[in-house]
Amino acid sequence: MDIDLDGDEDFDSGGSKLTCPGEPLTSAQDYMRGHGTYVENEEVIASVAGTIERVNKLVTVRAVRTRYNAEVGDLVVGRITEVQPRRWKVDANSRQDAVLMLSSVNLPGGVQRRKLESDELQMRTFFEEGDLLVAEVQAFFGDGSMSLHTRSLRYGKLRNGQLVVVPPILVCRLKSHFITLPCGVDLILGLNGYIWVSKHVKQSDREGEEGFDAEAVYSNQNDAIDDFTRIAISHVTNIIRALATRFIPLSDTILLKAYEWIVEQGSDVKDLLQEDIGDALVAGITAIG
Amino acid sequence: MSSRIEILNEGGFRSDGRRQYELRDITIDMSQQGTADGSAIITHGLTQVLVSVFGPREAKMRSQTLYDRANINVEVSIASFSTGERRKRSRGDKRILEMAATIKSTFEPVVQTNLYPRSQIDIFVQVLQQDGGLLQACINATMLALASAGISLLDFVSAVTGGVHSTSPMLDLTALEENDIPHVTVAVMPRTGKVTLITMETRLHVDRFEEIFKLACEAGKVIHGEMRAAIRLRTGMLISAMQSVSQNAGEKEDEQMYEY
Amino acid sequence: MRPPSPSIPEKEFVYEALKQSLRLDGRQPLELRSPRLTYGSELGYVECALGKTRVIANVDAKMVKPLPERPFEGLLTIHSEISPMASSEYELGRPSEEEITITRMLDKVLRRSDAIDKESLCILAGQRVWHLRLTLHFLSDAGNMLDCACLAGIVALKHFRRPEVEVIGDEVTVHSPSERAPVPLAIHHTPFCLTFAFFPDETTQPVLDPTLLEQRLSAGLMSVALNAQRELCVVQKMGGVPLVADGVLSVINIAVTKVKELDALVEDSLREDWKGRHVEVR
Repeated sequence: MDIDLDGDEDFDSGGSKLTCPGEPLTSAQDYMRGHGTYVENEEVIASVAGTIERVNKLVTVRAVRTRYNAEVGDLVVGRITEVQPRRWKVDANSRQDAVLMLSSVNLPGGVQRRKLESDELQMRTFFEEGDLLVAEVQAFFGDGSMSLHTRSLRYGKLRNGQLVVVPPILVCRLKSHFITLPCGVDLILGLNGYIWVSKHVKQSDREGEEGFDAEAVYSNQNDAIDDFTRIAISHVTNIIRALATRFIPLSDTILLKAYEWIVEQGSDVKDLLQEDIGDALVAGITAIG
Repeated sequence: MSSRIEILNEGGFRSDGRRQYELRDITIDMSQQGTADGSAIITHGLTQVLVSVFGPREAKMRSQTLYDRANINVEVSIASFSTGERRKRSRGDKRILEMAATIKSTFEPVVQTNLYPRSQIDIFVQVLQQDGGLLQACINATMLALASAGISLLDFVSAVTGGVHSTSPMLDLTALEENDIPHVTVAVMPRTGKVTLITMETRLHVDRFEEIFKLACEAGKVIHGEMRAAIRLRTGMLISAMQSVSQNAGEKEDEQMYEY
Repeated sequence: MRPPSPSIPEKEFVYEALKQSLRLDGRQPLELRSPRLTYGSELGYVECALGKTRVIANVDAKMVKPLPERPFEGLLTIHSEISPMASSEYELGRPSEEEITITRMLDKVLRRSDAIDKESLCILAGQRVWHLRLTLHFLSDAGNMLDCACLAGIVALKHFRRPEVEVIGDEVTVHSPSERAPVPLAIHHTPFCLTFAFFPDETTQPVLDPTLLEQRLSAGLMSVALNAQRELCVVQKMGGVPLVADGVLSVINIAVTKVKELDALVEDSLREDWKGRHVEVR
């Protein structure tokens, strides 16, 4: 493909080609325009700053930093912003607030239970404004906003931990976004860049005896967390912060490696926020590989 | 108006030692500021402006949502320490409101708002230092911040100020020069060479205007080059940071990166 | 309250007509609605109408203490709040974006362009100066209120005459108009504002003095204020559809010729009015 990029190619790294808004990429007759481009005067022109990618005849430009672009089946972490009739509005770092329908959540009393009028009246007992939850993208509405669902035992309200926000592009797609680190910390890597770091809960506890523990799912009470776990949680969040500010993509292996490096160095939780230690961490994990 | 300071001396130098067509130093910092989706600080000589862009995100006020495109909201605030004489400007100041309206209408046709229906793009402009060419700096910084937020734009916009001292045109005026001579701010789209914004507030003969206007259009392209290089540098840096780990950390991540 | 936007067929109809250089009110694209100036019985009271757009401008003067930083200069303030009388679009107390533009433009065209010689308004340096107040009332909005307001403002200033004053030592005597003929203001030049509307389709010619519908359907406005001496006072194109550089210059050249006509028209009408007035000097 003859993508012409005049001048300063010095910043090119790893063969990826960079472009800026308003730069012509190629002829519109030979190629199709994808995301991040538009066509004017028979030319495909970039509309965002980022890397040019090509799949057969489709040319797209992927912006480095952007809001989360959802896909069906993605796992996201979100925060309730509003309670509306039969639905919650959820901030999920997307272009618009996502929607969680009352009909897309599991209610206490069994998975198959019908939603009653009384459930509509007590929606705040399930999720309230400010609550954090983990959910899956179910579908899209006509205007592009997404609909979420929590109809799985793994989804639902989040407790026992803290939230870290990173640019969505840094969260790699993994086999599983529920990660358990050996230090007794559970991680939920939301593809929208919201990451939940919490105390490890045993698989059997989560599912409960009958497969569904109604009280626990919507509980607002944190479990008892010991000091060691608390420190571990802080460690992991600071690792994520340090990596994110240096724009390192996050995956289970990298986080594990980073945690091991930190333990090896024996550094304190707050040390990680220092510039030099953070740089050393990045240098450390890139070297290990 | 006559000033004590010579705007352009016989040797062809201006009060700060520049030539007629010389631009001031431009520094661009595109590092992340707080939780903003995109941000940029641009410095033209002693004028410094910080712009943070939030969004596209859910509109704060439901009445502001447009069903077919994004709503752009611009707020300008001028730091009271930005001028030599400390002065507090209220938010309702007409000059500030006008500047916000100007920035908004400059970027409304540039941002592909139809891609973001029912959302809102907030642009917060904070003037940190002012020494002439304020609107120019605001527009350039907004452009950079929008680009770093990954918002779809039809074209680049770069703005520059020009002035005319008796018959000699000059570029990129300082506050001192702005007070004394007629000045024009022009914003151009370098790819098409079209002009989106022109403002002029002082008396100037039509023929002189034509001269400075054409000159400013050319200068806009130079500024575009600087801004483009800064965006490329920033994007390149982020991308190489992302690749540094994935390439070293074994094949597994590599695969995932490509998939993404 | 924002009025609903025009329907799609309405829009298409206007665009299609404009493409053929036709306007709904039968004007040529670059034709101004001819301004009608009506003078009141008092000096400095003018009603200006561009088609159905009407603005009243009134000037009054009083003596005040000058600003300490400018002891030799008189003051000119412009009051221009758009009331809901002009159109239900406007609200009191909450300036819309358009209102800000109009207020700022009036300020630039009438005040900052140095049309009025402010030093001639000085009576006694540092003690007494004339404070001119220009009040604009927007009666109805049928498009292009800005040009109408600027025209009304400048004509009112030209029409106004202030009482003669006499200074003997520190004593200031104001002569009532019946004693001595009031004196006109010293005006350096007469700027007029012309607004052009541009449309999304690039081949459509720009339109001078847009009506309300044209204004609403336009993809950008450009206002040019200049005087008959070919001096530009304000050029303002705030965003909107991008234009090629030559397009901008050609618009300015059109404005140059139009302003000459407008200037002659205003001078004629002022002369006409002055003939009909009897100023008695005893």
